[in-house]
Amino acid sequence: MPLDDEAVAEIYREHGPMLRRVVWRATSDANRVEDIVQEVILRVWKQAPEADNLRAYLITTARHLIVDQHRAAGRRPQQAQLVDVAEADSALDRALDQVLVEEALGRLQTNHREIVRYLYFERLTVAETSTRVGVPEGTVKSRAYYAVRNLRVILDEMGVTR
Amino acid sequence: MTTGSDDLHVLLGAYVLGGLSDDDHRAFSEHLRSCRQCQTELGQVSGMPRLLDLAGPEGGPHLTDTPVAVPAPLMTDHDDEHLVTLLGEVARRRRRRRAWMSVVAAAAAVVLFAAGAWLGPQLLTPTTPTLPTTHVAAAAVAGSQVRIDIALVTRGWGTQLDVNCEDMPTNGELALWVIDRSGRATSAASWRATPAGYSRVTGATALRPNEIQALEVRTGTGKVLAEART
Ligand SMILES: [Zn+2]
Repeated sequence: MPLDDEAVAEIYREHGPMLRRVVWRATSDANRVEDIVQEVILRVWKQAPEADNLRAYLITTARHLIVDQHRAAGRRPQQAQLVDVAEADSALDRALDQVLVEEALGRLQTNHREIVRYLYFERLTVAETSTRVGVPEGTVKSRAYYAVRNLRVILDEMGVTR
Repeated sequence: MTTGSDDLHVLLGAYVLGGLSDDDHRAFSEHLRSCRQCQTELGQVSGMPRLLDLAGPEGGPHLTDTPVAVPAPLMTDHDDEHLVTLLGEVARRRRRRRAWMSVVAAAAAVVLFAAGAWLGPQLLTPTTPTLPTTHVAAAAVAGSQVRIDIALVTRGWGTQLDVNCEDMPTNGELALWVIDRSGRATSAASWRATPAGYSRVTGATALRPNEIQALEVRTGTGKVLAEART
């Protein structure tokens, strides 16, 4: 197999599932997901096959592509009834941000993810989380520490820097 | 339960996420005033709550007990099919891109021929991008400056060979030779050189792509201009 084919196949196998989820959840259009994903990979392969941060590059490209297509089709993201393009764009941006952060949480290891869930989203205390998970408080604290650090790394990798 | 002073750094995580007891919160706040390391790290993750708030109220599908609601067909294993489509498209775009190897060498003498570009055997049906296609760039041999890109398209009857040539000799005959794994060479296409030094021809061989060891473009007198190993 020539280099190009291998490179594309590798990008597709490694990042395809994540891209598909992101595109699906940002567009809610099952018919277009695979097309968009393939187009994203082809563009990135052509423009920056050796990019240091391929995941962020793929996601940024997907974002551009989805926004362009929304504009071209005059569609509204997530069926929101919005009037002007700028508003529609920012709604789409929010939808994408949401998907990206949720994807990042999905990439955390399970025992870190559940700590984020209990401490942040369910507003439990360290003591309550300790009981819920069945580990000592010290473990909850150190998992919280590593969860936050890893999440930062994952978000950076995905190009979510705000 | 409080934490010993040696372990105070670790409280940074729950400090950011929330959930520290009052005692721990006070202890960490105090520690933070004097600990450079924690100040730096806090600077890197203090925006985390704002980012987490971008997720749905419960943190999204990965955090709740309901799985991601993606239509099943999107997540099943059509992957290989899709990959074939994708690679077909790669082949098509790569042809357009013409990222060919080029080797500097002597130029050939110019004699004009009034031949068209589409010569070789036209055995083919139109190429569809879904067919498995492999591309090779044929490297010019020493003394030659040709640039050749060959697409190997798998067909039921063997392999279709789409050849794109540039900076070719502008006179004489040219031929594409296919060498199988046992070293046997057969001609897969022949055509006349064009004044522009550019031609696009399609050849055919009964060999499957994996049975092809090498491809050579030769002149009518048998001189090898470029070769590609698969
Ligand atoms: Zn510290």
